[in-house]
Amino acid sequence: MKQGTRETTLRFLVGLIATLIYLIPLYWMITTSVKPVDQIFQKPPMLFPSSFQTDSYRQIFGLATSRGDLYINAFLYLKNSLIIASVTMLLTLLMAVPAAYALSRFQFRGRSAFVLFLLIAQMLPSVLMVIPLFVLFKQWGIINISYTSVILADTALALPFTIIILRTSFLQIPIEIEEAAWIDGGSRLQVLFYIILPLVRSGMVAVAVFSFLVAWGEFVFALSFLQNVELQPISIGVFQFIGMYKSNFDSMMAFSTIVAIPAIIAFLFLQRQFISGMTAGSVK
Amino acid sequence: MSSLPEKTLLRGTKIPSLEKLTPYIFILPAGLFLFAIMGYPMIFTIFMSFQKFNLATLVSKQTQFIGLANYQGVMGNPEFVVALQHSLIFTFASIFFQFLIGLGLAILFSKAFPLSNVMRGLLLSGWQIPSVVTGTIFLWLFNLDYGLINFILTSLNLVKEPIGWVTQADTALITVIIVNIWLGIPFNTILLTAGITGLPEDVFEAATVDGASAWQKLVYITIPLLRSTILAVLMLGFIYTLRVFDVIWIMTKGGPADATEVLPTFAYRLSFISFNFGQSAAVSVIILAILLIGAVGYLKFAVQEEGL
Repeated sequence: MKQGTRETTLRFLVGLIATLIYLIPLYWMITTSVKPVDQIFQKPPMLFPSSFQTDSYRQIFGLATSRGDLYINAFLYLKNSLIIASVTMLLTLLMAVPAAYALSRFQFRGRSAFVLFLLIAQMLPSVLMVIPLFVLFKQWGIINISYTSVILADTALALPFTIIILRTSFLQIPIEIEEAAWIDGGSRLQVLFYIILPLVRSGMVAVAVFSFLVAWGEFVFALSFLQNVELQPISIGVFQFIGMYKSNFDSMMAFSTIVAIPAIIAFLFLQRQFISGMTAGSVK
Repeated sequence: MSSLPEKTLLRGTKIPSLEKLTPYIFILPAGLFLFAIMGYPMIFTIFMSFQKFNLATLVSKQTQFIGLANYQGVMGNPEFVVALQHSLIFTFASIFFQFLIGLGLAILFSKAFPLSNVMRGLLLSGWQIPSVVTGTIFLWLFNLDYGLINFILTSLNLVKEPIGWVTQADTALITVIIVNIWLGIPFNTILLTAGITGLPEDVFEAATVDGASAWQKLVYITIPLLRSTILAVLMLGFIYTLRVFDVIWIMTKGGPADATEVLPTFAYRLSFISFNFGQSAAVSVIILAILLIGAVGYLKFAVQEEGL
């Protein structure tokens, strides 16, 4: 018994230290973003800010502050990112739902080949896709004139993993439920939409958020396809910022915090779905 | 069309029913899309790697087949050798530490303790954070004059002078490796935890009864039983690490000079800075070939597990 409690205490302490060390970067990001400037440059650094300011946030959104204006407005980037990520999410779900359903419910020739293709596609690095896509998109005339190029590429990035996760969700629904609905006269599509999709709701939410986040944080496609500032997403906004304002640390961290928040919130709420999807997608 | 059903009925075979076509109709949109945006571009890359393809080609669309000249050009470029070396160092150093830390954490969390679920959740929170955020935070942490890391090191007297982590050629690669380790910990921990949770409990109980120490249990039971998970994690880790581009480009752009140039940044630079798409495609094909080694191993394993 005593051995057991000692072991638990030890595990707790090691876990606590590991967690604290791991979280330092995120903690430092958030605290830097609200520290008054003199505390940022203070030595020794203040672990806990003694007072707060929000000018760093107001500044990147172009609101009135006691400081000079920046040549960067987060509103524009935020709008672009919201559009790109939402459309990517819709497009991904629209194609992933039927594909995942077919893979979970039908035995057909080419099924294994398609899953294999998805597993390969999932591993394809975006930095290798961006080179031919740039050439092809340039020839198709869709570079730099709208969000299309980035949305298409982001969707391709999110789609394979989304299908793999959704397929696992569909597999967990017993086929008997469907059969009962068919007997009652429902067509395949009706049963899919009205009976099955509501049952895989949590899986659907997870992949929707996943595909949204893929586009939200995507960097290399946006960097290469969208030179036009009017179209650039928030990841490029942060990248431009660190190039232009190298020592404006509080606003830099405020900007980073805004970009990180959707990912952190999504992870806290959907941890279980993400983790099971990740293990299903890569090991099982 | 109208005579078809009759004919098939006469022969007594089944009409190719809608039901049989349904799965193909269902996977068609995703399949076509992925072919257009992923499959075809990859084939296009292979063609491009055998062509003289530059900015002029992009406009004129007049391509010229030049055999292996792009590959010869790349191989003869000392930058390529440097990038290859850096890629190998980056990949193996990252995987080594990610894996050890991930395994340690997975073992730690294999038994519940107070707040263990909360801690594990927090430890994995970095997984979905956009790479540009990670890069920016670490640029600040590694800042020469006001960064937290230099402050800790100098106050502990571990270094005399603050280090210009990303601005000095001799520390830049180590810096991006450290960042990448931080990025990879959630992935390793999640997969290894899933593996450990799936291990049979009674083997460990039997070993405890026989008086095995915790270390012995780890070396003689946990690791051998986890063999397949470990292989999967290492092979996927190899694929996911060799392709890392974002954090390096954000933090150092491959520099200073070529101190953090890896194969992906080298390929990107050839396309988007030198506009030598042909040679860039050749580097891409070389990266793909290296990835294929990891992918084939992983797929063999995945296909077995998936029971396809």
